[in-house]
Amino acid sequence: MRRVMSVVAIVCALAMPASIQAQFGHPLKGQWSGEWGPKEKPNRLLLNFEWDGKEITGVINPGANAATVKSVVFDYSNPSSWGVKITAEGKDAAGKPVAITAEGKLENLGAYMKHLHGTWTQGGQKGEFAVTRN
Amino acid sequence: MGAAAVGVFLGAAWMAQTGQPVAAQEGGAPAQGGRGRGRQAGPAEPTPRLADGSVNFGRVPGEKGTWNVPYITNMAMRVVGTDGQLLPEIQQSQQAARAGGAGRAGGGGRGGGRGGSKSEPWMPWMPWSAAMYDYNSINESKYDPEGYCLPPGGPRMMATPYQMEILQIPDHKRIVMIFEGATHVWREIYMDGRKFPEDLNPTYLGYSIGRYEGDALVVENKGFNENSWFDYFGHPHTDQMSVVERWTRPNKQTLHYQATVTDPGAYTRPFSVAWDIPWNAAAELPEYICQENNRYLNRLEDDFGQPIFGPRPQPGAKPGASPRGTK
Repeated sequence: MRRVMSVVAIVCALAMPASIQAQFGHPLKGQWSGEWGPKEKPNRLLLNFEWDGKEITGVINPGANAATVKSVVFDYSNPSSWGVKITAEGKDAAGKPVAITAEGKLENLGAYMKHLHGTWTQGGQKGEFAVTRN
Repeated sequence: MGAAAVGVFLGAAWMAQTGQPVAAQEGGAPAQGGRGRGRQAGPAEPTPRLADGSVNFGRVPGEKGTWNVPYITNMAMRVVGTDGQLLPEIQQSQQAARAGGAGRAGGGGRGGGRGGSKSEPWMPWMPWSAAMYDYNSINESKYDPEGYCLPPGGPRMMATPYQMEILQIPDHKRIVMIFEGATHVWREIYMDGRKFPEDLNPTYLGYSIGRYEGDALVVENKGFNENSWFDYFGHPHTDQMSVVERWTRPNKQTLHYQATVTDPGAYTRPFSVAWDIPWNAAAELPEYICQENNRYLNRLEDDFGQPIFGPRPQPGAKPGASPRGTK
């Protein structure tokens, strides 16, 4: 009986909708997830951004292979779709520095599910990327 | 638009409480009493006091009464200078609007006249906060979190048009503010001389520590989260915001409110807003539950036509690809 109850509890927990955290401060701040590269073999992306009132700082794919965000530049000319250019520096398998550039659009600015998508360039590779704010 | 409907609803609620149309209250009211919102019928009665001589910000024992919090949709039109008076450029903007017959130019109106950040040059914008405000203006406050029945943060508590009571509890060294609207919330203000905790858990209403300065109640607030807007028009704020509020009761019928906002995450320098809150001597706090039957949320869609509270869209989803087929 206890086992059945445990299974029911786990199923109920999994069935609960994911909570959505409102965030109406700087729209880039927070954690974003998605992928870049070819659809048949995409690369996972996890972006963490902070805003201190002066600059955006952040980390791409936190962990052993993390890349540090060097700069983020915005283009506000379209109020509904901000242009964003992110430059960062990571490391390749040999530990050599690899330049990363992500250039795209930040959309759905006011909604919970903000989107950032565009072109990702990392080392000699280039492809589309899309991330959604968690 | 849905958020506009919420705004109209709030306005109707306020009008039901006061018998005065919001539009008549919104424009041109001075920052300090005498005219407009703060005006009372009959002569002003003396400021009530507690047994210890401090100002009583609530009811006199044995009487009824609540504060009729006004409906202030755009706090940029309530910015005051160091003298506590409305900025001259705001007065000029309002005069120009009245002369033009619009009554709502310069972003100061209730639902229209949304001129965005350029219409409020006195606001100490950062590029992102100006751009975000422009976005909210274009969307007519579609994403206003108060429309989701989330609590208003900071000074917006004192600009959401429902009744409110202030309970001073000297024995406990605290003050409690009870709000009918704004999701039926309360505020607790510590009057025991404590310091701010070092690691505040960010909340909608922040952490409040108060003191008396003569006849004024001064409250410092920190620890806000980023889940709210500064006002209905969509001025953003960050969790770096701190607010110093100052309440005075110049007479029994009037509460004067002033808030100085410092938010180095969204604005380049502090600014102050102020308005009067009238006393409703016949009222008692009613019950109002914003969350009940909030159909607005079921209809709300994001910029891509996706339901805000439905299935999550996939990254890079194309505009109009609504799983509900509503577009």
